[in-house]
Amino acid sequence: MEVYITGVGLTKVGRHFDLSLRELAARAAFEALDSARIDKVDAVVVASTLSYREAGQFDLAGHLAGALGLKGAQTLAMEAGDASGLAAVEAACSLIRAGSAERVLVVGVDKLTDYVSSRVYRDLQRLYEAEVQALYDIGHAGVAGLLARLYMERYGVGRDTLSYWPAMDHSHAKHNPYAMLPFAIDPAAVPRALKVAEPLTLLDSFPLGDGAAALVLESEPHGDARAKVVLATSAAGYPSFTMNEDPLAPESVGEVAARLREVTGIAPANVDVIELGDTFTSIGVILAESLGLSKPGRAAVDAMEGRFTLGGDGPVVNPSGGLKARGHPVGATGVYMVGELALQLSGEYPGLRVDGARRGLAVMASGDGSSAHLVLVEGVA
Amino acid sequence: MSMDLSVPETWRVKGPLYRLEAARCKTCGRIHYPPMPACPYCGSRDLERVTLPSEGVLESYSVVYAVPEGSRHKAPVLLGLVRLGRVRVVAEITDADPSELRTGMEVEAVLRRIRSDREAGIIRYGVMFRPKLKGGSRGG
Repeated sequence: MEVYITGVGLTKVGRHFDLSLRELAARAAFEALDSARIDKVDAVVVASTLSYREAGQFDLAGHLAGALGLKGAQTLAMEAGDASGLAAVEAACSLIRAGSAERVLVVGVDKLTDYVSSRVYRDLQRLYEAEVQALYDIGHAGVAGLLARLYMERYGVGRDTLSYWPAMDHSHAKHNPYAMLPFAIDPAAVPRALKVAEPLTLLDSFPLGDGAAALVLESEPHGDARAKVVLATSAAGYPSFTMNEDPLAPESVGEVAARLREVTGIAPANVDVIELGDTFTSIGVILAESLGLSKPGRAAVDAMEGRFTLGGDGPVVNPSGGLKARGHPVGATGVYMVGELALQLSGEYPGLRVDGARRGLAVMASGDGSSAHLVLVEGVA
Repeated sequence: MSMDLSVPETWRVKGPLYRLEAARCKTCGRIHYPPMPACPYCGSRDLERVTLPSEGVLESYSVVYAVPEGSRHKAPVLLGLVRLGRVRVVAEITDADPSELRTGMEVEAVLRRIRSDREAGIIRYGVMFRPKLKGGSRGG
Protein backbone atom coordinates (compact mmCIF):
# COMPACT_ATOMS: atom_id res chain seq x y z
CA MET A 1 0.00 0.00 0.00
CA GLU A 2 1.26 3.49 -0.85
CA VAL A 3 1.81 6.10 1.84
CA TYR A 4 1.35 9.67 0.65
CA ILE A 5 2.68 12.78 2.34
CA THR A 6 -0.23 15.21 2.04
CA GLY A 7 0.69 17.81 4.65
CA VAL A 8 3.92 19.40 5.90
CA GLY A 9 4.43 21.87 8.74
CA LEU A 10 7.84 23.25 9.74
CA THR A 11 8.82 25.83 12.34
CA LYS A 12 12.06 27.76 12.29
CA VAL A 13 14.59 26.06 14.57
CA GLY A 14 15.74 28.48 17.22
CA ARG A 15 15.42 29.73 20.76
CA HIS A 16 11.67 29.81 21.23
CA PHE A 17 11.64 31.12 24.79
CA ASP A 18 8.07 32.35 24.28
CA LEU A 19 6.63 28.98 23.23
CA SER A 20 6.00 25.91 25.36
CA LEU A 21 6.55 22.42 24.00
CA ARG A 22 2.88 22.02 23.06
CA GLU A 23 2.58 25.51 21.57
CA LEU A 24 5.59 24.82 19.38
CA ALA A 25 4.22 21.40 18.40
CA ALA A 26 0.85 22.99 17.59
CA ARG A 27 2.41 25.46 15.13
CA ALA A 28 3.87 22.62 13.09
CA ALA A 29 0.88 20.31 13.49
CA PHE A 30 -1.74 22.90 12.50
CA GLU A 31 0.29 23.90 9.45
CA ALA A 32 0.57 20.24 8.39
CA LEU A 33 -3.16 19.57 8.92
CA ASP A 34 -4.14 22.80 7.10
CA SER A 35 -1.85 22.05 4.17
CA ALA A 36 -3.41 18.57 3.91
CA ARG A 37 -6.82 20.24 4.23
CA ILE A 38 -8.04 17.88 6.96
CA ASP A 39 -8.90 18.35 10.61
CA LYS A 40 -9.24 14.77 11.81
CA VAL A 41 -6.74 11.94 11.88
CA ASP A 42 -6.92 8.31 12.96
CA ALA A 43 -3.59 8.36 14.77
CA VAL A 44 -0.98 10.77 16.13
CA VAL A 45 2.63 9.62 16.31
CA VAL A 46 4.82 11.89 18.41
CA ALA A 47 8.62 11.89 18.16
CA SER A 48 10.47 13.45 21.05
CA THR A 49 13.74 12.53 22.71
CA LEU A 50 14.51 15.01 25.48
CA SER A 51 11.04 16.27 26.29
CA TYR A 52 10.55 14.28 29.47
CA ARG A 53 13.89 15.59 30.80
CA GLU A 54 13.34 19.15 29.56
CA ALA A 55 9.56 19.60 29.81
CA GLY A 56 8.63 16.95 32.38
CA GLN A 57 5.59 15.54 30.57
CA PHE A 58 4.80 11.85 30.61
CA ASP A 59 2.36 10.51 27.98
CA LEU A 60 3.33 13.36 25.70
CA ALA A 61 1.46 11.89 22.71
CA GLY A 62 -1.77 11.62 24.68
CA HIS A 63 -1.48 15.13 26.07
CA LEU A 64 -0.59 16.54 22.65
CA ALA A 65 -3.58 14.88 20.96
CA GLY A 66 -5.82 16.72 23.45
CA ALA A 67 -3.94 20.00 23.09
CA LEU A 68 -4.25 19.78 19.29
CA GLY A 69 -7.99 19.11 19.39
CA LEU A 70 -7.66 15.63 17.91
CA LYS A 71 -10.26 13.88 20.01
CA GLY A 72 -10.48 10.12 19.55
CA ALA A 73 -7.14 9.59 17.84
CA GLN A 74 -4.98 6.65 18.79
CA THR A 75 -1.53 7.79 19.92
CA LEU A 76 1.99 6.45 19.82
CA ALA A 77 5.13 8.01 21.31
CA MET A 78 8.43 7.30 19.61
CA GLU A 79 11.80 7.79 21.23
CA ALA A 80 14.82 6.58 19.29
CA GLY A 81 17.53 9.01 20.32
CA ASP A 82 18.78 11.23 17.52
CA ALA A 83 16.57 9.35 15.05
CA SER A 84 13.20 9.58 16.84
CA GLY A 85 11.72 11.55 13.94
CA LEU A 86 12.61 8.97 11.30
CA ALA A 87 11.42 6.20 13.65
CA ALA A 88 8.07 8.00 13.95
CA VAL A 89 7.71 8.19 10.16
CA GLU A 90 8.50 4.47 9.98
CA ALA A 91 5.87 3.70 12.64
CA ALA A 92 3.25 5.88 10.93
CA CYS A 93 3.87 4.12 7.61
CA SER A 94 3.47 0.76 9.35
CA LEU A 95 0.10 1.81 10.78
CA ILE A 96 -1.11 2.80 7.32
CA ARG A 97 0.32 -0.23 5.52
CA ALA A 98 -1.21 -2.54 8.15
CA GLY A 99 -4.61 -0.94 7.57
CA SER A 100 -4.80 0.29 11.18
CA ALA A 101 -5.07 3.93 10.12
CA GLU A 102 -5.79 5.89 6.96
CA ARG A 103 -4.61 9.29 8.10
CA VAL A 104 -1.77 9.81 10.54
CA LEU A 105 -0.30 13.00 11.96
CA VAL A 106 3.41 12.71 12.77
CA VAL A 107 4.71 15.44 15.09
CA GLY A 108 8.36 15.79 16.09
CA VAL A 109 9.16 18.25 18.85
CA ASP A 110 11.95 19.00 21.30
CA LYS A 111 13.09 22.05 23.25
CA LEU A 112 16.77 22.30 24.13
CA THR A 113 16.97 25.88 25.35
CA ASP A 114 14.84 25.95 28.50
CA TYR A 115 17.87 25.03 30.64
CA VAL A 116 21.58 25.84 30.56
CA SER A 117 23.70 24.05 27.95
CA SER A 118 25.67 21.96 30.47
CA ARG A 119 22.45 20.36 31.71
CA VAL A 120 21.42 19.57 28.14
CA TYR A 121 24.88 18.09 27.50
CA ARG A 122 24.37 15.80 30.51
CA ASP A 123 21.04 14.66 29.05
CA LEU A 124 22.45 14.27 25.53
CA GLN A 125 25.22 12.08 26.94
CA ARG A 126 22.47 9.53 27.60
CA LEU A 127 22.25 8.95 23.84
CA TYR A 128 25.26 6.70 24.52
CA GLU A 129 25.03 3.44 26.47
CA ALA A 130 23.95 4.74 29.87
CA GLU A 131 24.62 1.87 32.32
CA VAL A 132 28.41 2.13 32.12
CA GLN A 133 29.66 4.27 29.22
CA ALA A 134 27.77 7.45 30.05
CA LEU A 135 28.77 7.25 33.73
CA TYR A 136 32.04 8.78 32.56
CA ASP A 137 32.02 12.45 31.65
CA ILE A 138 32.26 11.68 27.94
CA GLY A 139 30.15 14.71 27.03
CA HIS A 140 27.74 14.75 24.12
CA ALA A 141 30.57 15.36 21.63
CA GLY A 142 33.44 13.29 23.04
CA VAL A 143 32.95 10.18 20.91
CA ALA A 144 32.57 12.31 17.77
CA GLY A 145 35.91 13.92 18.72
CA LEU A 146 37.57 10.50 19.04
CA LEU A 147 36.22 9.51 15.63
CA ALA A 148 37.39 12.80 14.06
CA ARG A 149 40.99 12.25 15.16
CA LEU A 150 40.89 8.60 14.02
CA TYR A 151 39.56 9.75 10.62
CA MET A 152 42.15 12.49 10.15
CA GLU A 153 45.08 10.27 11.09
CA ARG A 154 43.98 7.23 9.09
CA TYR A 155 43.28 9.09 5.86
CA GLY A 156 45.77 11.91 6.24
CA VAL A 157 42.92 14.44 6.05
CA GLY A 158 43.84 17.80 7.54
CA ARG A 159 41.74 19.80 9.96
CA ASP A 160 41.34 22.50 7.29
CA THR A 161 39.90 20.02 4.79
CA LEU A 162 37.40 18.65 7.31
CA SER A 163 36.11 22.22 7.76
CA TYR A 164 34.56 22.19 4.30
CA TRP A 165 31.82 19.83 5.55
CA PRO A 166 30.18 22.33 7.95
CA ALA A 167 30.92 25.14 5.48
CA MET A 168 28.85 23.23 2.90
CA ASP A 169 25.96 22.87 5.38
CA HIS A 170 26.05 26.58 6.16
CA SER A 171 26.23 27.68 2.52
CA HIS A 172 23.04 25.66 1.90
CA ALA A 173 21.28 26.91 5.04
CA LYS A 174 21.48 30.57 4.11
CA HIS A 175 18.51 30.01 1.77
CA ASN A 176 16.43 28.06 4.32
CA PRO A 177 13.82 30.11 6.21
CA TYR A 178 13.53 27.31 8.81
CA ALA A 179 17.28 27.13 9.57
CA MET A 180 18.54 28.14 13.00
CA LEU A 181 21.81 29.46 11.54
CA PRO A 182 21.00 30.72 8.02
CA PHE A 183 24.39 32.19 7.09
CA ALA A 184 27.56 31.09 5.35
CA ILE A 185 30.78 30.50 7.30
CA ASP A 186 34.41 30.70 6.24
CA PRO A 187 35.96 27.22 6.51
CA ALA A 188 39.07 28.90 7.94
CA ALA A 189 36.98 29.98 10.95
CA VAL A 190 36.09 26.40 11.96
CA PRO A 191 39.38 25.34 13.64
CA ARG A 192 39.59 28.73 15.41
CA ALA A 193 36.10 28.50 16.95
CA LEU A 194 35.40 27.55 20.57
CA LYS A 195 36.70 24.03 21.21
CA VAL A 196 33.99 21.48 21.98
CA ALA A 197 35.77 18.10 21.80
CA GLU A 198 39.12 18.44 20.07
CA PRO A 199 39.70 18.29 17.20
CA LEU A 200 36.05 19.38 16.87
CA THR A 201 34.89 22.93 17.57
CA LEU A 202 31.55 24.67 17.96
CA LEU A 203 31.44 25.09 14.16
CA ASP A 204 31.59 21.29 13.77
CA SER A 205 28.65 20.75 16.15
CA PHE A 206 24.89 21.03 15.89
CA PRO A 207 23.51 24.06 17.76
CA LEU A 208 21.15 23.60 20.72
CA GLY A 209 17.79 24.78 19.47
CA ASP A 210 14.03 24.24 19.79
CA GLY A 211 11.94 23.00 16.92
CA ALA A 212 8.82 21.20 15.80
CA ALA A 213 7.95 19.64 12.47
CA ALA A 214 4.86 17.73 11.37
CA LEU A 215 3.62 15.59 8.52
CA VAL A 216 0.26 14.23 7.49
CA LEU A 217 0.57 10.75 6.00
CA GLU A 218 -2.37 9.20 4.18
CA SER A 219 -3.25 6.01 2.36
CA GLU A 220 -5.01 8.06 -0.36
CA PRO A 221 -3.45 11.06 -2.13
CA HIS A 222 -6.68 13.17 -2.39
CA GLY A 223 -5.00 15.14 -5.17
CA ASP A 224 -2.89 17.06 -2.62
CA ALA A 225 0.01 14.66 -2.17
CA ARG A 226 3.48 16.21 -2.06
CA ALA A 227 5.35 12.92 -2.28
CA LYS A 228 5.07 9.30 -1.29
CA VAL A 229 7.15 7.25 1.12
CA VAL A 230 8.67 4.35 -0.80
CA LEU A 231 10.72 2.84 2.02
CA ALA A 232 10.98 3.57 5.76
CA THR A 233 13.25 1.17 7.57
CA SER A 234 15.73 0.87 10.42
CA ALA A 235 18.30 -1.58 11.72
CA ALA A 236 19.34 -1.72 15.38
CA GLY A 237 21.50 -3.88 17.58
CA TYR A 238 24.85 -3.50 15.82
CA PRO A 239 28.12 -2.80 17.64
CA SER A 240 28.59 0.90 18.41
CA PHE A 241 31.11 2.98 16.45
CA THR A 242 33.83 2.31 19.01
CA MET A 243 33.04 -1.42 19.39
CA ASN A 244 32.83 -2.00 15.65
CA GLU A 245 35.74 -3.67 13.85
CA ASP A 246 36.12 -0.43 11.90
CA PRO A 247 34.86 2.55 13.93
CA LEU A 248 34.64 4.61 10.72
CA ALA A 249 32.32 2.16 8.90
CA PRO A 250 29.23 1.45 11.05
CA GLU A 251 27.54 -1.82 10.05
CA SER A 252 24.11 -0.37 10.88
CA VAL A 253 24.38 2.23 8.10
CA GLY A 254 25.71 -0.36 5.67
CA GLU A 255 22.68 -2.52 6.43
CA VAL A 256 20.03 0.15 5.71
CA ALA A 257 21.86 1.11 2.49
CA ALA A 258 21.82 -2.57 1.47
CA ARG A 259 18.06 -2.75 2.17
CA LEU A 260 17.52 0.31 -0.02
CA ARG A 261 19.30 -1.44 -2.91
CA GLU A 262 17.40 -4.71 -2.31
CA VAL A 263 13.94 -3.19 -2.12
CA THR A 264 14.21 -0.44 -4.73
CA GLY A 265 17.30 -1.29 -6.80
CA ILE A 266 18.58 2.23 -6.03
CA ALA A 267 21.95 3.07 -4.48
CA PRO A 268 22.11 6.11 -2.16
CA ALA A 269 24.42 7.87 -4.64
CA ASN A 270 21.68 7.67 -7.30
CA VAL A 271 19.02 9.73 -5.53
CA ASP A 272 18.72 13.46 -6.28
CA VAL A 273 18.78 14.85 -2.76
CA ILE A 274 19.84 13.52 0.64
CA GLU A 275 19.32 14.81 4.16
CA LEU A 276 22.00 13.33 6.44
CA GLY A 277 22.05 13.23 10.25
CA ASP A 278 25.42 14.95 10.58
CA THR A 279 25.34 15.74 14.30
CA PHE A 280 29.08 16.51 14.07
CA THR A 281 31.47 16.90 11.14
CA SER A 282 33.03 13.49 11.79
CA ILE A 283 29.62 11.79 11.83
CA GLY A 284 28.70 13.56 8.56
CA VAL A 285 31.71 12.27 6.65
CA ILE A 286 31.36 8.78 8.15
CA LEU A 287 27.68 8.63 7.08
CA ALA A 288 28.46 9.92 3.57
CA GLU A 289 31.19 7.31 3.10
CA SER A 290 29.19 4.45 4.66
CA LEU A 291 26.40 5.19 2.17
CA GLY A 292 28.87 5.09 -0.71
CA LEU A 293 28.48 8.79 -1.60
CA SER A 294 32.26 9.18 -1.32
CA LYS A 295 35.23 6.86 -1.21
CA PRO A 296 36.70 6.31 2.29
CA GLY A 297 38.55 9.42 3.40
CA ARG A 298 37.13 11.53 0.56
CA ALA A 299 33.83 12.99 1.81
CA ALA A 300 35.28 16.29 3.07
CA VAL A 301 37.35 16.65 -0.12
CA ASP A 302 34.23 15.96 -2.20
CA ALA A 303 32.33 18.59 -0.18
CA MET A 304 35.19 21.05 -0.76
CA GLU A 305 35.04 20.41 -4.50
CA GLY A 306 31.28 21.06 -4.60
CA ARG A 307 30.25 17.48 -5.38
CA PHE A 308 27.27 17.66 -2.98
CA THR A 309 25.93 21.06 -3.89
CA LEU A 310 23.86 22.32 -6.84
CA GLY A 311 25.71 21.61 -10.08
CA GLY A 312 27.91 18.95 -8.47
CA ASP A 313 27.98 15.40 -9.81
CA GLY A 314 26.76 13.75 -6.58
CA PRO A 315 23.34 14.04 -4.97
CA VAL A 316 22.73 17.40 -3.30
CA VAL A 317 23.46 16.74 0.39
CA ASN A 318 21.71 18.71 3.12
CA PRO A 319 20.05 21.48 1.09
CA SER A 320 18.39 22.35 4.43
CA GLY A 321 21.74 23.14 6.01
CA GLY A 322 21.95 19.79 7.77
CA LEU A 323 22.09 19.36 11.50
CA LYS A 324 24.92 21.89 11.69
CA ALA A 325 22.96 24.83 10.32
CA ARG A 326 19.26 23.97 10.03
CA GLY A 327 19.70 22.65 13.53
CA HIS A 328 18.94 19.47 15.45
CA PRO A 329 15.97 19.74 17.82
CA VAL A 330 16.74 16.12 18.51
CA GLY A 331 13.45 14.21 18.34
CA ALA A 332 12.04 16.53 15.66
CA THR A 333 14.95 16.36 13.22
CA GLY A 334 13.89 13.27 11.28
CA VAL A 335 10.45 14.80 10.72
CA TYR A 336 12.09 17.99 9.40
CA MET A 337 14.18 15.89 7.00
CA VAL A 338 11.20 14.06 5.51
CA GLY A 339 9.11 17.25 5.37
CA GLU A 340 11.90 19.14 3.60
CA LEU A 341 12.36 16.30 1.10
CA ALA A 342 8.60 16.17 0.39
CA LEU A 343 8.59 19.91 -0.35
CA GLN A 344 11.69 19.50 -2.56
CA LEU A 345 9.94 16.83 -4.62
CA SER A 346 6.74 18.86 -4.99
CA GLY A 347 8.72 21.98 -5.99
CA GLU A 348 7.47 23.92 -2.95
CA TYR A 349 10.67 24.01 -0.90
CA PRO A 350 11.40 27.63 0.04
CA GLY A 351 15.16 27.09 0.53
CA LEU A 352 17.84 25.77 -1.81
CA ARG A 353 15.74 24.02 -4.44
CA VAL A 354 16.92 20.99 -6.38
CA ASP A 355 14.96 21.41 -9.62
CA GLY A 356 13.55 18.26 -11.14
CA ALA A 357 14.37 16.13 -8.08
CA ARG A 358 12.48 12.83 -8.19
CA ARG A 359 13.87 10.97 -5.20
CA GLY A 360 14.96 12.08 -1.74
CA LEU A 361 16.64 10.12 1.02
CA ALA A 362 16.89 10.78 4.77
CA VAL A 363 19.46 8.85 6.83
CA MET A 364 20.42 9.01 10.49
CA ALA A 365 22.44 6.85 12.84
CA SER A 366 21.92 6.71 16.59
CA GLY A 367 24.45 8.68 18.65
CA ASP A 368 26.67 5.66 19.23
CA GLY A 369 26.18 4.28 15.70
CA SER A 370 24.56 1.01 16.81
CA SER A 371 21.40 1.65 14.82
CA ALA A 372 20.51 3.41 11.58
CA HIS A 373 17.28 4.73 10.07
CA LEU A 374 16.45 5.43 6.43
CA VAL A 375 13.46 6.92 4.61
CA LEU A 376 13.17 7.15 0.80
CA VAL A 377 10.54 9.47 -0.67
CA GLU A 378 9.54 9.90 -4.29
CA GLY A 379 7.70 12.62 -6.16
CA VAL A 380 4.12 12.00 -7.29
CA ALA A 381 3.80 14.58 -10.07
CA MET B 1 23.52 20.90 44.64
CA SER B 2 22.17 17.42 44.15
CA MET B 3 23.62 15.46 41.30
CA ASP B 4 21.34 12.48 41.66
CA LEU B 5 23.93 9.72 41.87
CA SER B 6 22.26 6.44 42.71
CA VAL B 7 23.72 4.28 45.50
CA PRO B 8 22.54 0.92 44.07
CA GLU B 9 23.74 1.91 40.58
CA THR B 10 27.15 2.91 41.88
CA TRP B 11 27.39 -0.48 43.65
CA ARG B 12 26.14 -2.48 40.64
CA VAL B 13 28.68 -1.18 38.15
CA LYS B 14 31.74 -1.93 40.28
CA GLY B 15 32.72 -4.90 38.09
CA PRO B 16 33.11 -3.07 34.81
CA LEU B 17 33.94 0.31 36.31
CA TYR B 18 36.47 -0.74 38.99
CA ARG B 19 37.91 -3.94 37.55
CA LEU B 20 37.39 -3.65 33.77
CA GLU B 21 35.13 -6.71 33.75
CA ALA B 22 34.08 -7.56 30.21
CA ALA B 23 32.27 -10.51 28.63
CA ARG B 24 33.75 -13.13 26.31
CA CYS B 25 31.42 -14.91 23.93
CA LYS B 26 31.91 -18.67 24.00
CA THR B 27 30.30 -18.96 20.56
CA CYS B 28 32.25 -16.44 18.46
CA GLY B 29 35.15 -15.86 20.83
CA ARG B 30 34.84 -12.08 20.76
CA ILE B 31 35.05 -9.94 23.87
CA HIS B 32 32.92 -6.90 24.51
CA TYR B 33 32.86 -4.11 27.11
CA PRO B 34 30.78 -3.22 29.02
CA PRO B 35 29.32 -6.73 29.43
CA MET B 36 25.87 -7.21 27.86
CA PRO B 37 23.30 -10.00 28.35
CA ALA B 38 23.99 -11.22 24.80
CA CYS B 39 26.96 -10.90 22.45
CA PRO B 40 26.63 -7.71 20.34
CA TYR B 41 28.62 -9.38 17.55
CA CYS B 42 26.79 -12.72 17.12
CA GLY B 43 23.79 -12.64 19.48
CA SER B 44 24.84 -15.63 21.58
CA ARG B 45 23.87 -15.73 25.27
CA ASP B 46 26.70 -18.11 26.12
CA LEU B 47 29.05 -15.62 27.75
CA GLU B 48 31.66 -15.62 30.50
CA ARG B 49 33.05 -12.74 32.51
CA VAL B 50 36.68 -11.90 31.85
CA THR B 51 38.93 -9.14 33.13
CA LEU B 52 40.54 -6.93 30.51
CA PRO B 53 44.27 -6.26 30.60
CA SER B 54 45.14 -3.09 32.50
CA GLU B 55 47.67 -1.87 29.93
CA GLY B 56 46.94 -0.86 26.39
CA VAL B 57 47.44 1.58 23.57
CA LEU B 58 45.75 4.94 22.95
CA GLU B 59 44.06 4.67 19.54
CA SER B 60 42.48 8.12 19.65
CA TYR B 61 41.80 10.91 22.12
CA SER B 62 39.76 14.06 22.48
CA VAL B 63 40.06 17.05 24.77
CA VAL B 64 36.46 17.68 25.77
CA TYR B 65 35.52 21.24 26.71
CA ALA B 66 31.72 20.82 26.46
CA VAL B 67 31.56 19.13 29.86
CA PRO B 68 28.20 18.22 31.43
CA GLU B 69 26.84 19.91 34.54
CA GLY B 70 28.16 18.56 37.80
CA SER B 71 31.62 18.06 36.32
CA ARG B 72 32.49 21.44 34.86
CA HIS B 73 35.30 21.88 37.39
CA LYS B 74 37.02 18.97 35.59
CA ALA B 75 37.08 20.76 32.21
CA PRO B 76 38.73 19.97 29.96
CA VAL B 77 38.08 16.24 30.28
CA LEU B 78 40.59 14.07 28.45
CA LEU B 79 38.82 11.22 26.71
CA GLY B 80 40.59 8.21 25.24
CA LEU B 81 39.80 5.37 22.89
CA VAL B 82 42.00 2.69 24.41
CA ARG B 83 42.80 -0.69 22.90
CA LEU B 84 43.18 -3.39 25.56
CA GLY B 85 44.17 -6.55 23.70
CA ARG B 86 41.30 -7.20 21.28
CA VAL B 87 38.87 -4.79 22.87
CA ARG B 88 38.41 -1.01 22.67
CA VAL B 89 37.31 0.95 25.71
CA VAL B 90 36.20 4.58 25.88
CA ALA B 91 37.36 6.09 29.18
CA GLU B 92 38.79 9.23 30.68
CA ILE B 93 42.54 9.88 30.60
CA THR B 94 44.14 11.20 33.78
CA ASP B 95 47.50 12.38 35.12
CA ALA B 96 48.41 13.84 31.73
CA ASP B 97 48.69 17.21 30.07
CA PRO B 98 46.71 17.36 26.79
CA SER B 99 49.93 18.28 24.95
CA GLU B 100 51.63 15.00 25.88
CA LEU B 101 48.90 12.77 24.40
CA ARG B 102 49.77 10.93 21.19
CA THR B 103 47.94 8.18 19.37
CA GLY B 104 49.86 4.94 19.72
CA MET B 105 51.18 5.78 23.19
CA GLU B 106 51.06 3.16 25.93
CA VAL B 107 48.60 3.72 28.75
CA GLU B 108 47.75 1.93 31.99
CA ALA B 109 44.62 1.69 34.12
CA VAL B 110 44.29 3.50 37.45
CA LEU B 111 41.28 3.93 39.72
CA ARG B 112 40.08 7.51 40.00
CA ARG B 113 37.10 9.51 41.17
CA ILE B 114 34.68 10.23 38.29
CA ARG B 115 32.03 12.26 40.10
CA SER B 116 30.81 12.91 43.60
CA ASP B 117 27.47 13.92 44.97
CA ARG B 118 28.12 16.66 47.46
CA GLU B 119 24.73 16.44 49.18
CA ALA B 120 24.55 12.69 49.62
CA GLY B 121 28.27 12.11 49.88
CA ILE B 122 28.33 9.42 47.22
CA ILE B 123 31.58 9.12 45.29
CA ARG B 124 31.69 7.29 41.99
CA TYR B 125 35.03 5.78 41.12
CA GLY B 126 36.05 4.20 37.86
CA VAL B 127 39.00 3.06 35.83
CA MET B 128 40.80 5.81 33.96
CA PHE B 129 43.99 5.55 31.94
CA ARG B 130 47.25 7.41 32.32
CA PRO B 131 50.40 7.43 30.19
CA LYS B 132 52.34 4.33 31.18
CA LEU B 133 54.98 5.09 33.79
CA LYS B 134 58.50 4.20 32.76
CA GLY B 135 60.37 2.75 35.74
CA GLY B 136 59.90 5.28 38.55
CA SER B 137 56.66 6.41 40.12
CA ARG B 138 54.92 9.69 39.34
CA GLY B 139 53.09 9.50 42.61
CA GLY B 140 49.89 8.27 40.96
